[in-house]
Amino acid sequence: MLDYVIGKYNFWIYAVLMMIGLYAMMGKKNLVKKLIGMNIFQSAIILFYISTGVKTGGATVPILMGHAQEHGHQAIDVAGYLNPLPHVLMLTAIVVSIATTGVALAIIILIYRRYNTLEENEILKIRKDTGV
Amino acid sequence: MKVIALIAAIMTGALLIYGIEEMPKWGDPNSPASSHVSPLYIQEAIEKTATPNMVTAVLADYRGYDTLGETTVIFTAGIACVLMLRKKRKGGGD
Amino acid sequence: MIWQLDLILCIFVIICAIAAITIKDLLAAVIILGAYSFFMCLLWTEMGAVDVAFTEASVGAGVGTVLFIAAVSKTKRRSKD
Repeated sequence: MLDYVIGKYNFWIYAVLMMIGLYAMMGKKNLVKKLIGMNIFQSAIILFYISTGVKTGGATVPILMGHAQEHGHQAIDVAGYLNPLPHVLMLTAIVVSIATTGVALAIIILIYRRYNTLEENEILKIRKDTGV
Repeated sequence: MKVIALIAAIMTGALLIYGIEEMPKWGDPNSPASSHVSPLYIQEAIEKTATPNMVTAVLADYRGYDTLGETTVIFTAGIACVLMLRKKRKGGGD
Repeated sequence: MIWQLDLILCIFVIICAIAAITIKDLLAAVIILGAYSFFMCLLWTEMGAVDVAFTEASVGAGVGTVLFIAAVSKTKRRSKD
């Protein structure tokens, strides 16, 4: 049990971060707060993916050392480098998350121009009163 | 409403923590994620692409079309932002 | 990888996340979100993902914070929850 908690403490922390983001998306009324929660949720998922690429035992960043470049036919030690695939996929995910954040902020500005508030319940009330 | 959201978040977290049990130990060099495809990239990236940095080799060479699609996504997002936030001409829309 | 540093950074990240969603001033929440992004970037550097770390530092923490501040300055700064 102790090994289950201590050996995987980082996964617990990612689960807690995802819970914080999910709660902010569902429980908060302000639209910017919801967006902040979405950002936290996304980076928790990215953190989880990056942590699957980690190797203990002397592995370094996935950039080849100089000597391996000169002797191309020399076998490269796989255990000496981290897994590069999660890094590549998450680079794409970070940039796409910024794009979604930008579009969401533009929509929030439009909503503010029309309803003059950012609280979800007030917007719903205005829509109900005006019968839209 | 907030209580329902809190309960839903905690239940999701409990499911996630239940799933952690099946994960390999952190940093295990023989975990499934780092034992199937990635050794091929680590060994062959320098021969096939002549790039010492494996991340950029995979990003720009092996998955070049993926990066092109990503650029399309950014472009579409920028166009959408500009179209939504431009000043309306008088008489048009609300 | 140093697990003590990893644990400390993870705790800082959680503190920043909780602060960002509880503060009522939206500008302060956005700035704390920027700090959260930088802690995330330190965490990735510590895990060895240097490319992801500097992409996050420039795109996530830089451009993201600028976008958020622009949006907050065009709308209301106070939040009710």
